Order: sequence, then C-alpha cells, then structure tokens
Amino acid sequence: MSYDNVIELRDLQRYYKLGAETVKALDGVDLEIRRGEYVSIVGPSGSGKTTLFNQVGGLDKPTKGSVFIDGVDISQLDAYELAWLRCRKIGYIFQSFNLIQVLTALENVSLPTVFAGTPHDEGLKKAEKLLDQVGLGERLHHRPTELSAGQQQRVAIARALANDPAIILADEPTGNLDLNTGMEIIDLLHGLNKMRGLTLVAATHDLKMIKASDRIVWMRDGVIERIERG
Amino acid sequence: MKMNKEAPGRVHFTLMDAIRLGRGYIRRRLDRSLINIASIALGLSFYTTMVISDLLYSTSARLGGGQVAVESYQYWLVAVALVVSIVGITNAMLIAVYERYREIGTMKCLGALDRHIVLLFLVESFYQGLVGGLVGFSLGLASAIVITGFGAGFDIVLYAPRVSLLTIFVGSVSLAMALSMVATLYPAWRASKLNPVEALRYEL
Repeated sequence: MSYDNVIELRDLQRYYKLGAETVKALDGVDLEIRRGEYVSIVGPSGSGKTTLFNQVGGLDKPTKGSVFIDGVDISQLDAYELAWLRCRKIGYIFQSFNLIQVLTALENVSLPTVFAGTPHDEGLKKAEKLLDQVGLGERLHHRPTELSAGQQQRVAIARALANDPAIILADEPTGNLDLNTGMEIIDLLHGLNKMRGLTLVAATHDLKMIKASDRIVWMRDGVIERIERG
Repeated sequence: MKMNKEAPGRVHFTLMDAIRLGRGYIRRRLDRSLINIASIALGLSFYTTMVISDLLYSTSARLGGGQVAVESYQYWLVAVALVVSIVGITNAMLIAVYERYREIGTMKCLGALDRHIVLLFLVESFYQGLVGGLVGFSLGLASAIVITGFGAGFDIVLYAPRVSLLTIFVGSVSLAMALSMVATLYPAWRASKLNPVEALRYEL
C-alpha cells in the first residue's frame, strides 16, 4: 500500500480563551488523509468539526501541533504563502454558499483564477467550462439572488474547483438544502471525488453524505472518538 | 512515505483586476456609491463656488468693476464642509465594510491578501471621488456664476483667464479624489484586517 497523504494532522490542538476559561476546541487530533479519499467528519455541534475545518483550510493557526498539506507544515507559512495555499491547494464549500452577491455566477467562479494570476479571458473560459460541468451552462450571467439554493451551491462547487485544488473542504454543504437538492449535491461531489480523484473532506450531519464516504471520523469534545470505514 | 512537496508561490491581484472588480461593485451597489458621490460633490461644490467666485470678482476688478472679494472666514466654512464630507464618506464606507464582512472573508479564502482588500476599496473610492469631483465642480461653477453675476455681470466668466479656470478644475477634481481616498483609508484598513474565520461566521 503506497502512502500519499495529502493532509496530515499531528497532535493538533486549538484552545480558545473564553473569559477565565480555556475551551479546548481541538485537544490533540492525529489524522492522515490520503489523496483521492472522501472523508466525512461527524460529531455533535461543539465537537470541533468547524475548528478542524478552519485548521485544515489554513484559515486559523493551531495552538499546538501541526497541519501538513501536501507535505508542507502550514503553520510555518507567512501570510503570502498561506494566501497562495488557500488559493491553489484548497477549494472551500460552505453551508451558506458564501457567493459574492454583486457578481454573476461566471464572475464568482472566475474570481479564484484572478488571485491565481490566470489571464482574464482564460479564467472566464475555465469558469464557463466548470459551470457547464455542474449543470449551470445556461445560468452563467445570473446573480446568486436569481438562483435557487441548489444552484447557488453548484456555483460554489464550481468556484471551489476553479484553480484545480488538491483538496475540497466542505462545511455542512447540504445543511441549507432540501432532501432532493441535497442528494444532487452529494452525487455531484461524490462524482468529482471519483472522476477527478479529488480529496474531499466534509463536515456533515447528513446521513446520505456519510454513507457515500470512504471513511467516517467521529469527533467528540475536540478529539477523534473513532474512525469507521464507509 | 511519498511526499509531493511543492514550494508555495505567490497570489496575484493587479490594479487592473481591482479596477475591473471595483467598477462592478460601484455599478451594482449604485445606491451606496451615490451617497458617497453626493457627499463629496456637495462639499466640493462649496469649495469651488468660493474659489471661482474669487477668480470672477478679481477678473471683474481687473476690468474696472467694483472691489468685492470672498471673505476669509468663508474659507473656514469651506474647510468645515470638506471635513464633514470626509466624515460622511468614512461613515458610509464603514457601513459598507460591515455589509461586506462575509464577502471579505470569502475573498480571503479564495486567496486575497490584506492589501488586495485595501486596493479594492481604494479603487472604488477613486471612482467615487472622480465622479463626485466632476459633479461638484460643475455645481460650484454654476453657483459661482450666479452669485457673482448680480455684481459683476453673468458673462464675467467669459473674461476670466482660461488657465486659472483650468487650474481650478484640475485642482478641485484631484482634491475630491484625494479626500474620497483619505476618507476610505480607515474603513479599508479595518476590512483588510478581518479574520476570515470570524468574517465567515458573521451574520448581518
């Protein structure tokens, strides 16, 4: 078995000071995620899922321990390198989509390519292709307010793919969607994972999402309780 | 263990990118932009009214008309008006930053650096200053002609030195753009320092 860990967490700790109390949002997490794997992070609210999401996504610094993305310890990166990592290595998908309201679907999807330094026309072409792939080829110039929730999440998925990241991080991607739409989004994500070999890490409550995954990481009180094969 | 190491590179966001994005923001959030444009236009029109009146009165005096001049205290009023318009823009821009909390957080997730956020806000304020300056100058010119018209004749502007008028035009519009950008510095800096984790959690 060849190991090619795209994500490695080593004794990851993240404490918050809340008044006089210290909240241990993550209290020593060790985890290795292989390239192309689909991992669900599951646990009650307050178990540290979102904190883990922020750590792996390079959005927050650990109190102790390290996060390796493609073999690079991201706590050693400066602000510029961290921005590059977020831009090129990781695609984010959020529960509330977080599309930019004043931009069209096409502009939203091409925005990451701007930061990647892709020429304008090329970025737009790429965005058009991606939107076509997620089934929104006819909705290029619609703004988020003119799209349904499911369509907005598709735009967000296309945006996450814009710079061909190694990892897709999803935080409750079906949390704001109805059952059927949620199922479509899961199929889309699962397909991307299998077809493109994308590493998919999703924090979720959604049983259907959990079922589709290769491994399920159960979290409780800031530690990994157990890991199941899907 | 096989590792696929790749040295981190740099993210990009050129002035052209900021201009393209900033223009989109102004166009699609026109109501907000118009408030800032009106604020700068009003402050500036007061200023240009004074400066052009001064020029027209002295033109009139040179041509043998009566000696009327703009009183120096009126320049104090102008200074106050300009300060008020700066404060107004700063306030409107701070509100814009709050409205765009999540958006700024999202942009940081997509690779934006602090200075890219500052650049985007400054580009917006540059355009607002430009339009506010043009409108303010036009208003100021018109009211100066009306005010001086009763004493010096409404056609006195035709006798005013072209070079002086042009200098006032360039000076006023530059002043408007500078004021608009100065007023935006603090809100832009606040926006750029947002922590993406907090910004994304923020509910308006």
